[in-house]
Amino acid sequence: MKNKELSFWLFITPVLLSLAIVVLIPGVMGLFYSFTDWNGLTFNNFIGLEHYRRIFQDTQFGRSLLFTFVFALVCIVALNVIGLGLALLVTSKLKSRNILRTIFFMPNLIGGLILGFIWQFIFIRVFSNLGTLIGVEALMGWLSTPATGFWGLVILTVWQQAGYIMIIYIAYLQGIPKELLESADIDGATPGQKFRHIIFPLLAPGFTVSMFLTLSSSFKIYDQNLSLTGGGPYNSTQMVAMNIVDTAFSSNQMAYGQSKAVIFFIIVATFSLSQVYFNKKREVDL
Amino acid sequence: MSDKKNFFYKGLLMVSAAGLLAACGNEGDIPGTDGTADNGGDTNGNGGREEVNLSIMQGKVEFNSQFNDLAQMYMDENPNVNIEITSVGGGTDYFTQLTTRFGAGDEPAIFSVAGPNEMEQMSEYMADLSDTDAAEAALEGMLDSVTQDDGSVSALPYNLEGYGYIYNKEVFDAAGIDAEAISTYEDLEEAVQTIDSQLDDLGIRAVFALPGAEGWVMGDHLANVYLTTEFNEDVMEAYQAETLTFENGDEFQRMLDLQAEYSITPILSLDYSQQVEEYFSLGQVAMIQQGNWVYPTLEQMDPEFAENGVGMIPIPLEGHEGKLPVGIPNYWAVNSNNDDATVQAAKDFLDWMYLSDEGKEFVINEFNFIPAYEGYEDMEIGDPLSQVVYDYSQSGDTLGWVFNGYPTGFTNNEFGPNLQAYLGGEMTWDEMIENSIQAWESLQ
Repeated sequence: MKNKELSFWLFITPVLLSLAIVVLIPGVMGLFYSFTDWNGLTFNNFIGLEHYRRIFQDTQFGRSLLFTFVFALVCIVALNVIGLGLALLVTSKLKSRNILRTIFFMPNLIGGLILGFIWQFIFIRVFSNLGTLIGVEALMGWLSTPATGFWGLVILTVWQQAGYIMIIYIAYLQGIPKELLESADIDGATPGQKFRHIIFPLLAPGFTVSMFLTLSSSFKIYDQNLSLTGGGPYNSTQMVAMNIVDTAFSSNQMAYGQSKAVIFFIIVATFSLSQVYFNKKREVDL
Repeated sequence: MSDKKNFFYKGLLMVSAAGLLAACGNEGDIPGTDGTADNGGDTNGNGGREEVNLSIMQGKVEFNSQFNDLAQMYMDENPNVNIEITSVGGGTDYFTQLTTRFGAGDEPAIFSVAGPNEMEQMSEYMADLSDTDAAEAALEGMLDSVTQDDGSVSALPYNLEGYGYIYNKEVFDAAGIDAEAISTYEDLEEAVQTIDSQLDDLGIRAVFALPGAEGWVMGDHLANVYLTTEFNEDVMEAYQAETLTFENGDEFQRMLDLQAEYSITPILSLDYSQQVEEYFSLGQVAMIQQGNWVYPTLEQMDPEFAENGVGMIPIPLEGHEGKLPVGIPNYWAVNSNNDDATVQAAKDFLDWMYLSDEGKEFVINEFNFIPAYEGYEDMEIGDPLSQVVYDYSQSGDTLGWVFNGYPTGFTNNEFGPNLQAYLGGEMTWDEMIENSIQAWESLQ
């Protein structure tokens, strides 16, 4: 018994320690600083909820928040639909399925910052040259308007992350017992019926995981945002993470930025956790 | 039940242990570095001079490799000095990292500061440099914004920089325009229209390339021309100003509109590198609003063009025609939070860099700096654009830079985006002005 306890602590300590150092302690310190006039080095006064009161009058923060919500919504839907689509494709009987898996997953191996610059080139140069060539006005001037900036970001994010979500769905698709599908075949179910009544319900745990991942990652996007649009034009594509960084580091309002981060943390945590809770309820046990 | 309680206490113990460990690490570092320096001093027999470590942190990455070469030269001459340089790019990132290093106790001996705001934040660490030879040799007016009431000098200028319209001589010649004769806004407008009417003949795509994606080109540089007079061309006055009025707002709008109307489109996704590298250096536009700092880039793209094909003219401001905005982008500060020997060594290095013959040679030819110090009169300035800036500063036909005195984050987060919104048709000019004034007041 003693021995078991020792090994328990031996195994959990490194994790607990690193979690404490990089998450718990900074988190508590951050919460503490958000009630002060901390400037990054020192603080002199406690100012209570002053920063939080200010956040509600900060129109740019509100705009960033709204933009992030819409972005996250579109991304979650697109990522899950496309990720699942790709997963179905590469688990089908296609000959090229193995190579396709690798290809679809590849964008995920490139860092967001570099991807942003690559896509910036594509949107600004390739698109406009293509547009001139075939005479399509819609391909010109990408990233110079809020709408194209938004869709640019969506395309970039989906392109990067769909492969990752695909891998998750593949794992869950392969976990579906073959005998269920076979007996459905024998009963004469169409592929559509099989998908709707067997595959879809049994994929529920996959949805929970993927939704959680896509939700939190779409909310917290920063590097793609920075390198693709930099928040421009006129801060219209500035997401919350970037707004926080700008407030803290370029306006040098550390404590105020910290308060925004606290609010942001609460929002993301609320959404992620309630999403997990509701999706868990939907899952079926075999 | 007791298990759970146990768990809690152990967890708490872990957390506090972690905190303790982190604290130990911090304190342990500093004596460690001191120790190595002392040891080195004992073994070094060079004239009995103690070994000094000079760590330098600075925010101008463009001349990093040349600066390292210079430091190496200094170390060869003074074997007891060991210099270690950290260069960090671009305005905001640099200062964040600087404060982080100070916060962590890893303080550089020499660091750069860019404006009154940064200076005020670092003021407690900035040693008095009034006893340096470089401070003595600084040109008239160069130390105005760093001289304190008690006569102490808290920082030394890097160099001078200036900006205006950089034009393609060949295009202007072909269009039959004498760029040097342009002085008023009307002259400029006429020239722009003349060029615009023969774009195809001249083989260019547009007159200007206005980088709308870069808030600082419009918000810092262009706006400076029209804001500087309301602060008496004094950066400190701007820094202390509660508000601004845009008294030359109409002229500002007129000029921005002119650039926007005759620019490569779409403006709002056009950035600095496209403006300078793609459009200007490849001869696709007639002129761009930039400063002498673009020279190394132009030279990389096309040495022949850079050497002979470009000139710079001022941005017209009514009543101040023919004046080029010239200022000091960066200053050196010496960390006072060090022992006297290190502070003195830091001062010696700065003096040597700007006043010794080897140093001067390097400053002019390798750094491509426009000197802010005496003693360079006989030397030839490195490149034609810097020559223009130097000439204007010598004759005193300059406009002061006030944008370093803007409230922190003003251009990046408020003014720049507002100007972009105006260009994108999202705001009217009056709304732009109103919003920017409000932002200034709330940030100040």
